[in-house]
Order: sequence, then structure tokens, then C-alpha cells
Amino acid sequence: MALQVLLVEDSPGDVRLTREAFRDTNLAVDLHVAMDGIEAMAFLRREGEHKAAPRPDIILLDLNLPRMDGREVLAHIKEDPSLKMIPTVILTTSDAEADIVKSYQLQANCYLSKPVQLDAFESLVRSINEFWMTRVKLPQRESAAVASPVGGKP
Amino acid sequence: MNSGGDRRVRLAYVSAILILAGVGALSYLSMVRTDRSERWVRHTHEVLIDLQELVISLRGVQSNSRGFALAGEESYRESFLAGVGAARRIEVEIRGLTADNPGQQQRLRALEALVEQKVRHAQLVIGIRESRGLQAAADEIRTGTGEKLMRGVESAVSLMRGEETRLLVLREAEVKRHFGQTRMAVILGTLVGLLIAATAAWSIRRDRLTRETAEKAKRLGEGSFLALANNISQFAWMADEKGYIFWYNDRWFEYTGTTLEEMAGWGWQAVHHPDHVQRVVDKIKKCFDSGEVWEDTFPLRGRDGRYRLFLSKAVPIHDTDGKVLRWFGTNTDITDSRDLGSRYRGLLEAAPDAMVVVDTAGNIVLLNVQAEKQFGYNRDELVGQPVKNIIPEGFAERIVADDLRSTADALAQQIGTGIELVARRKDMTEFPIEIMLSPLESAGGILVTAAIRDISARRAAEGRYRGLLEAAPDAMVVVDIAGNIVLLNAQAEKQFGYNRNELLGQPVKNIVPEGFAERLVADDLRSTEEALAQQIGTGIELVARRKDGSEFPIEIMLSPLESEGGVLVTSAIRDISARKEAELQLLLKVQELNRSNEELGQFAYIASHDLQEPLRMVASYTQLLSRRYKGKLDSDADEFIAFAVDGANRMQRLIQDLLTYSRVGTKGKDLLDTSSEAALDRALDNLRGAVTDSGAVVTHDPLPSVLADEMQLVQLFQNIIGNAIKYQKGGVPLIHVWATRNEDMDWLFSVKDNGLGIDPQYFSRIFGMFQRLHKREEYDGTGIGLAICKKIVERHGGAISVESAPGQGSTFRFTLTEGGQPS
Repeated sequence: MALQVLLVEDSPGDVRLTREAFRDTNLAVDLHVAMDGIEAMAFLRREGEHKAAPRPDIILLDLNLPRMDGREVLAHIKEDPSLKMIPTVILTTSDAEADIVKSYQLQANCYLSKPVQLDAFESLVRSINEFWMTRVKLPQRESAAVASPVGGKP
Repeated sequence: MNSGGDRRVRLAYVSAILILAGVGALSYLSMVRTDRSERWVRHTHEVLIDLQELVISLRGVQSNSRGFALAGEESYRESFLAGVGAARRIEVEIRGLTADNPGQQQRLRALEALVEQKVRHAQLVIGIRESRGLQAAADEIRTGTGEKLMRGVESAVSLMRGEETRLLVLREAEVKRHFGQTRMAVILGTLVGLLIAATAAWSIRRDRLTRETAEKAKRLGEGSFLALANNISQFAWMADEKGYIFWYNDRWFEYTGTTLEEMAGWGWQAVHHPDHVQRVVDKIKKCFDSGEVWEDTFPLRGRDGRYRLFLSKAVPIHDTDGKVLRWFGTNTDITDSRDLGSRYRGLLEAAPDAMVVVDTAGNIVLLNVQAEKQFGYNRDELVGQPVKNIIPEGFAERIVADDLRSTADALAQQIGTGIELVARRKDMTEFPIEIMLSPLESAGGILVTAAIRDISARRAAEGRYRGLLEAAPDAMVVVDIAGNIVLLNAQAEKQFGYNRNELLGQPVKNIVPEGFAERLVADDLRSTEEALAQQIGTGIELVARRKDGSEFPIEIMLSPLESEGGVLVTSAIRDISARKEAELQLLLKVQELNRSNEELGQFAYIASHDLQEPLRMVASYTQLLSRRYKGKLDSDADEFIAFAVDGANRMQRLIQDLLTYSRVGTKGKDLLDTSSEAALDRALDNLRGAVTDSGAVVTHDPLPSVLADEMQLVQLFQNIIGNAIKYQKGGVPLIHVWATRNEDMDWLFSVKDNGLGIDPQYFSRIFGMFQRLHKREEYDGTGIGLAICKKIVERHGGAISVESAPGQGSTFRFTLTEGGQPS
């Protein structure tokens, strides 16, 4: 099954760029997009129109979002027993120290700053793919659904 | 010496000797008498014997005459003559022996007559024989005349003998009696003598014991006496009977600081007061001579040169005959316990101020020499006079008891406070005085002592001071330690809107409600001096209140002022409303500036941040376009896209730099002790790529610890060294970093490179924002690097500059303050 990636990003341009970048990198990736924090939470909680939403294997989260800010989303994710196991990668334009610190405090899995150059951006996406989706062991989806603190075998 | 005992012993001795002499004399007399008596006895015996011998001689004569008569032999005649001679000799002897006895003499004469007759007869016989012969002589003999004569002689002799015998008996009795007497006398005398000797011996022994005890006591006493005499607080001394002082106790020497050598005899005069010594000497001499107890009072000089008063006494010590043996004297210090009156007088005279003692009627009772001087009067001219004569107003009234209060009450109000009045001299000139009153109990009632001080000088000084005060540009207020206003100047009147009189004597709290009076008050924690000392010289900001109740900010500067009445505080009061306003304005401005800076910072940050996103879009998509449609469009399109992409990229870089620039201020951290060496190493680390690519050699001297934001310091080094590496003409960049101290004791960092160098006309421009000296094609960069450096350095309180010349490399210099810790 393809890797389910939830991209929480409000800039359509960035969405498209990301999509293009992933397409060039790894075809076995299903990119889901939420344009703001509320939508992101609805997707994660499978509420409303997202009832049938799959559980993401990884979340790429921008910080500056309308309605519900990325930091809030991060907090919600990491407080929710059923969601906190999902690796959440902050992918944002800001490289401000305060943002970095806050994100890690909220237990972001890692923080990546979007490069301005296209090449660099594409390279970053490739890195994300290589690291998080190839090398890193992710918890199995089924067990992720079970609200158990210890990731056990299905 | 026990003279009594001595006398008795002498007496005993004398008696014994007398008695022995007496006994001796008596014995001698007795012996003499006995001897005489015996002699008389012997005498008598001799008479008796002589008488006997006479008889015998006569018988011899008789017989010899008869013999001759018979025999007619010559030998008989010779013997007869011899016998007669003997008889005559015996008669003479008897005469001598009985010379004292007239009775016997008489009888002797009778006897001698008879003897004579007998002898004649015997002679006759002899003569008859011779002449007539035998028969005639025999006839003569037969007549018996011779016999008869013989018998007459014998009876005369026996008469005499009887007398002598009688005498003998008497004399023998006498002798016996005398002997008995002598014996008696001797025995008695001896007994008496012995008795006396015994008595004497016993008496001597008793005396000896007594004396021994006395001596022991004396010895003990002497030691104790010395100890006692040296430990009493009085002085003690001893003089011989002539008044020659031979011993003083330790107290004397301690007080006078003299030695025995100096004081012995009459040397003590040296520590007497010259005015008194003569009368003391006269009086004591009189007593020494008369033996009367001596008492006197006089000053003695101590080792410190000061005189103290001593009550002195001396008593004579007599011997058993009543003669003065020595004198024992003491001196007691009565300086302090002296009768109040005279001591007070002494105090009065010694006082530096004029002192006048006045009774309740206002008349002068006593004054001292200072008062005489100050007022120009003689003592006699003032005693008994009303004090109004010298102090016309203000004194007498104060002490007079009236219906409202007694003198004591009246006085009580005045005591201790200095009252300023006007006094008048004898020459009628007046002068200002300050008087201080104190009561004095005396036998005659309450007296008032006034210490009078001429305050003309003070007034003059005050006048000068007042002048100064008035002339001062600031408001000046003089306050006493109780917090009341004592003096103020015209400026103060103006500032506070009061009239002078409304403020004098009032608490300073009326014009400075808080912060002033409290500072002056001595409390348990500190004295007024200390309280003041803390305030002196420092400007204190307080709030003052005008008469109309409005308040205004002031700054006061305190300084102490010594005055007669104690410490006063002069305060210079400056209205700082204007200054405060200015300060406030400044504060507001600064706040505004800060806020605006903050806003600006935020703005710059947000702006750059938010600008990034659209820019990314533009740049990214144009690049995508370029990539995806490269070759599919014509070459113009390619070129257009290239320009667009390039523009977008540059825009990005500019925004990044702007962001970095704005962050220097807004995201700057606190300045802490930072190792500049470590920062340099970090910067070189960040430049690793550029360093390796260019083969740059970066060296440095030991670098100090500075107060800095570490990240910014790294940025600073990074920018400068990055520039040094970049702006090269293709050689190996050689860069050296070092630091020296400048005159402000800050660190001056220097970074020297061997790069292109900079034309001096551009020195200030290069630190400007986005200023570049080269075309983009030559050297890349946005031109903000040095602006960022400048901002960083200025944020650290330092300054940045450059020394350079085209083709000769550049040396960038900047200052940073020293850190606390060693690097």
C-alpha cells in the first residue's frame, strides 16, 4: 500500500510544488492535503467529510496556517493518544529559533525549513522521502489505530 | 623603749646598791663599834692587867726593897729601880688607858699617890739599910708601914679594878649587843638586798616580756602600718619632733609625681600653691613648736600641674614624758566635696563666658571676672545692682515671679534655651548677647545663674551668612534638627509663595511634606550627624508644596551648618519641574522610539518572512517553467524566464539579508561573557567550504573574553572573514586576527587581510545597507554583510572602522567591552 502522507499547507503553490517534488521522488506516496488546521484535525479524526480518511503514515505540517495554527495542530496531535505516534515533520518557511524550539517542545518529530530555491526544495523532499519513508521504521497502520501506548505487533 | 620599766630597773638597782652600801656601811659601823667596844674591853683588860702588874711591880719593889734591906745586894736595888720604873711606866699606861674615864683618873691619881708613898717607903727602907743597916731596915719593915702602904695601893688598885671590871662587864655586854646588832643588820640587810634583787629580777623579766610583746606588736604594727598608710586614699606623712618630714606614703608621691629626696624635710613647699604656701608654712611651724594639733586647708599641685584642694591635719605623738616624739599628718582631697558655695565661686571664676548670678529680685549677687571684662565694670560696681543695668530688657522680667507663676516655673521655661538679648556696657555701648539660664539653690533662696555670651561675632557671621543666603540663586532653607525652619531666603519665599514670617519656626514638612524632615531626625539607628552625613552632597528628589497647595518636584542638596544652638541643615532647593518635564519627555520619546524600533523590527521580520512565501512561488515556478519547458519555447522565452528567475532569486537573497539584518536588533540576545576565540572558531567552521576552496590561511593571536551575544559575534567574524576570502584577486587569502586594548580599556579587534583593498572614499559607504562596490558579475553578494557587522558592533556598544588602500588589503577594526571571566 502506498505511503499515506498528510500535508497540512495553506499555500496552493507550495502544495503543487510539494506534489511535483514527491512525484519525481516516490510514486508510492498518496499525498493528502489539508489547507488549514481545522481541516487537518478533521482529517486526522475522520470527522465530517473525512470519515473515510486513511490514517497518515507521516504528517508534513506547516506552522503558519489560518484558523488553527500549525503549532496548535501539533499540540493536538501529540496530545491525542491515537495520533501522537504519527511522525509529524514540521515543514515551514520560518527558520526562527523560537519556532524551532517551540516545535520540538511540542514534540515535533523534526523541523525542516523550506529552502527558497527550487532545487534545494526538491532536494529536501527527496531527503524526507529517503529518510522518513525509506529508512525509518514506521509503526504499522493497524497498531497505530489501536490506542495503545506501546507499539506491539498486530 | 619601755622607760617606765627602765626607771624601775634603775630604781631597783639603785636601791639594791644603796641597801648593799647601807648594809656594808652598817656592817662596817658595827664592826668599827664592835672593834671599839672590843678595844675598850681589851682596854679594860689591859687596865686590869696593868693594875695587876702594878701591884706585882710594887710587890716586886717591896720585895726588892726588903731584899736589899735584907741582903743589901745591889741587884736588889737594881731590881727595885727597875720595878719602880715599871710601876711608873704602868701608871702612865694606865693613865693613858683610862684617859676617858674621869673617875678612874681620879682613882689613879689616888693610886699613884699611894704608889708614890709606897715607893718612897721602899726607898726609905733601902735608904735606911744603906745608912743604918740591916737592923734599921728590918725595923722599918716591921713597922708595917710598907705593908700598910701596900695594902692601900692594893685597895686603890682593887677600887680601880672594880671600876674596870664594872666597865668590863658593861663593855662586854655592849660588845655582845653590838655584835648582835651587827649580825641582825647584816642578816636583815642581806635579806632585803636579796628581796630587792629578786623583785628587780622579776620586774625586769616582766618588763622584758612586755617589751618583747610590745616589740613584736610594734614590728607587726610597723608592717601593717606601712601597708595601711600606703593604701588609704589620703596622703600620710611623718615628721620628726622638729617638723622635718622624713616619710610620705605612696599616695603623696603618686599625686605629686615627686620623690622622697625632693620632698624630705621642708621640701613639700615645692608642691604648694605660691599664693598659699607662706601661710601654710607659718601655721604649721607654729604648731610644730607648740605641739598643738595642726589643721589647714590649701591647694596642692598634682603631677599634671593642676591644683586640688586638701584638708590637712597633723597630730603629735608623745613619749612617756609627754615630749613630742614625732608628728603624724594626713591630707584629704576635698576638691569635690568642697562646700558648694566656694566651689561654685571657683567654677564661676573659671568659666570662659561671663557669668552673672542674680536673685529673684533681679539684683546681681555674684559675677565673674569675664563679666567684669565684658561689661567694662568693676565687680563692686555691679554686685547688689539691678541686672537691668547691664541687660536693660528681657532678663529681669523673665525671672521675676508674678501672679501667674513662681520663679521656679518661670525659670523652668527658660532653662537651657539660649535667649538673645541686648546688653549694655559701662560706656553705654550696646552689644548683642545670648544668655543661658540655670537655677542655683542657695541658703537664701533660688538664684539664677546666667551665662552671657557676646554674640556680636556670631551676629556678624550670621549677617554674612544671611547675605550669602539671600544672594543664592536657589531657594535656601535652613532647618534645625527638630525639622523647623530657622532661616530662608527671598528665592525660597518666591518658590513656595510664602512670606518669610509665615515659614520661620514652622516645620519644614509644611513645604516639603515628605522626605526631608525624616532624613534629619536622629533615631535609634543613627545620630543626627550620621543621618546628615549620608545625605550631604547628594541631590535628593522630593516633592514640595506651595502655599496654594500645588506641588512641584524639587531637588534638595543638604549641607550641615554648625551653630551655637546645635547642628543646622542648610538645604538648597531647586525647582526641577522643567527638568522633570524634560526627563519625562525624554522618557516618552525613548519609549516611543523603543516601541517604534520594536515595531520596526517586528515589521521587518514579519515583512521579510511574509515576503518569502510569494517570492518562493515566483522563483520556484519560474524555475519549474524553465525546467519543464526548456527547449519547448523559443530562446526569447528562455531568456525572459532566466531574467525572471534571476530576479526572483536575488529578491530572495535580499529578503534573507534584510531578515538577518533586522534580526540583529530584534533577535539579539543579552550580552554575556563570551570567548571571542570560540566565536572565531565557529565562524571559521561555518566558512569551512569557502576556506577550503580558496585555501585561505586564517591565523589569530590569543583573543580575550568579551561581553557579547555569541551568535552575533560569530556572524560578525563570519561576515568580515567571508568578505576577506571573497574579495581576492585570486591569490591565497591570508587573514590575521588580533586584539589590543584601547585607552578606554575596551578590546580593539583587528582583522587584516591581503585582499583587494578599498578606496578610502568608500569607507563609510561600505557599511551602508545594500551598498556594493562591485558588479554582480565580479563578486557576488547583496552588500548587506558589513551593514550587519556595523549593526552588531553598535549593538554591543562598540564602533567599527576600516583601514585600507586599493591593492593593499584591508584591516577592519571594531571594539568590544571586556568580559568578566578570563577566556
